[in-house]
Amino acid sequence: MDWEKIRIPLMLAPTMLIITVLFFGSLGYGLLQSFGYNPAIGTTEMSLEAYRSVLFSAEVAPVFWPGLWLSLWVAFASTFISAAIAIGVALLLRRTFVGKKLAVFFFQLNLPIPHLVIAVGMLMLFSQSGLVSRILGEMGIVTSPRDFPPLTQDAYGIGIILAYLWKEVAFFGIIVLAILQSLGEDYESVAQSLGANRWQRFRTVTLPLIMPGLMSASIIVFAFTFGTYEVPRILGVQHPKMLPVLALDFFLNPDLNARAEGMALSMIIAVIVFALVFVYMWITARTVRKA
Amino acid sequence: MTHLSLRGLTKLYPGADKPAIDNLNIEVESGSLVALLGPSGCGKTTTMKMIAGLLKPSGGDILFDDTSILQIPPEKRGAVMVFQNYLLFPYMTVAQNVGYGLKMRKTDQATIDRRVDEMLELVKLPGMGARKPKELSGGQQQRIALARALIVNPNLLLLDEPLSNLDAHLRFEMRDLIREIQKSMGITTIFVTHDQEEAAVLADRIALILNGTLQQYDTPMALYHQPTSREIAQFFGGVNFLQGRQDGGVFTCDLGQFDVPRANGPGDGVLTIRPEDITIAEADGPNTVSGTVASHIYVGTHSRLKVRVGEAMFDVIADASAIQTYGDGQPIRLAFPPQKLWVLPPGGTE
Repeated sequence: MDWEKIRIPLMLAPTMLIITVLFFGSLGYGLLQSFGYNPAIGTTEMSLEAYRSVLFSAEVAPVFWPGLWLSLWVAFASTFISAAIAIGVALLLRRTFVGKKLAVFFFQLNLPIPHLVIAVGMLMLFSQSGLVSRILGEMGIVTSPRDFPPLTQDAYGIGIILAYLWKEVAFFGIIVLAILQSLGEDYESVAQSLGANRWQRFRTVTLPLIMPGLMSASIIVFAFTFGTYEVPRILGVQHPKMLPVLALDFFLNPDLNARAEGMALSMIIAVIVFALVFVYMWITARTVRKA
Repeated sequence: MTHLSLRGLTKLYPGADKPAIDNLNIEVESGSLVALLGPSGCGKTTTMKMIAGLLKPSGGDILFDDTSILQIPPEKRGAVMVFQNYLLFPYMTVAQNVGYGLKMRKTDQATIDRRVDEMLELVKLPGMGARKPKELSGGQQQRIALARALIVNPNLLLLDEPLSNLDAHLRFEMRDLIREIQKSMGITTIFVTHDQEEAAVLADRIALILNGTLQQYDTPMALYHQPTSREIAQFFGGVNFLQGRQDGGVFTCDLGQFDVPRANGPGDGVLTIRPEDITIAEADGPNTVSGTVASHIYVGTHSRLKVRVGEAMFDVIADASAIQTYGDGQPIRLAFPPQKLWVLPPGGTE
């Protein structure tokens, strides 16, 4: 036997085993639970009842659909706005200027800070009783906390989006900046000498060149913002709730019968993320080809 | 066709202690091809980028047809650069790459398609429009880069070492193609290279730049046979130097007296003769010296001899058969044809 050929697969096997057991195992078990399989409470018969309940029942559907739209809105807005801001900042940071290193350092400073801390920070700063509101009150600009616009715990998820922007702009930025620095400016110089103005250069050269990296980062950010729990839990409202918060509420319900709905919600989140990622990749690839 | 003037052009990069290019003055005739020649880091590409508008000069002026273009943005100068590493847009087809400049000018698609076909014919790559750059060889990519530049009818074509990434065979082909297209279209062209042979073959005139300073701006033949300094002579390959003194048409040195073609005023000088201009003489006569062969190498088309004459050592390129007659230690007589001798001012580095 040629050991050289199977050496790398063998070395990777322990890692692959852990990933397979943890990822597919939990996914499979979650799927079974969403079909109603839960031996702990004596239900082993499988059906699509939990899905029907989530999508159409008078009890769950009225919280599911608004939650879905809110989740989609928050994920799209966070991803798109973060990417747009990050591209702009990265294009500025690519240039040579006094204090560039310091600027790059500050730009990336919040990368290691947990989302939970950012969410709490947002609440302390921008809630109606937060620091900014109080300072404005002291200055006489607002007379009561109610006069301060609801930037957190609002129905449109503005606080959640702001928290994600705070964090994800740096994530996008570090990726875009690395791509821009590795590409250099020669492609843009060629385009410029061929007559392309600043906007044309950005649209036809810079954007298509950074798009593969940007696309990968967007998929990560979209999937994360669509499926994560802690930020919307802290900065969201009771209604509508983003789907992950809703799923966890069902999962933590003392009534174990609700777990099937929680798992069905989780499966729906996973399917939507996969589907949207696929569509997003298709649209982006098409845009790049057409540019 | 554009006449280009560089007047006192200078570039000092921030933090540098000396300019990358210092007080460069060049006039480039309309429709001519000028080579900026020099070793890496001498300021050639910096000069080209300043002409294209991609770098801002620290001093001096750039004029197209006697009008300063310093205030004109790069995209409106019509000075199109072709880079050493082609830089075809990888996500576009060949046709999209070639038509890029016209698309940016909002030319209608039918005209773009027609012009793209013309350009692909011109660079001898018809029917390649649907391919992606990665499907082309290096030589083909460079041709497409050239077509992409030519399609916009540039005022000035700027070629930055366009042949250096190609192997020898492709280099010759591309060199001929560039010359053919440049002559037929009559585009004023600046060509950056570190290869003196490439510059000599392609250019109407060569601007030799060393350490950011223009050393000589002349025809290839003048640079080769009538350099104005020892550094220039050395840049164009092995030259034999003899220190001495010129007075009228006679140069006197340790080896004797030599007739020289031009009667400079009396003074110290350096006599130069290229290895291929030295001939092997049958008998003593004017402008001949006697010595012994120190070493010899056969290189197929010719022989290379090192000949010791007194304290001096001469490099000689003789025909291939000379190797059979002149082995190491053999006596040999060398003749220096007066019309091939050139006297430089004294000084310069060895």
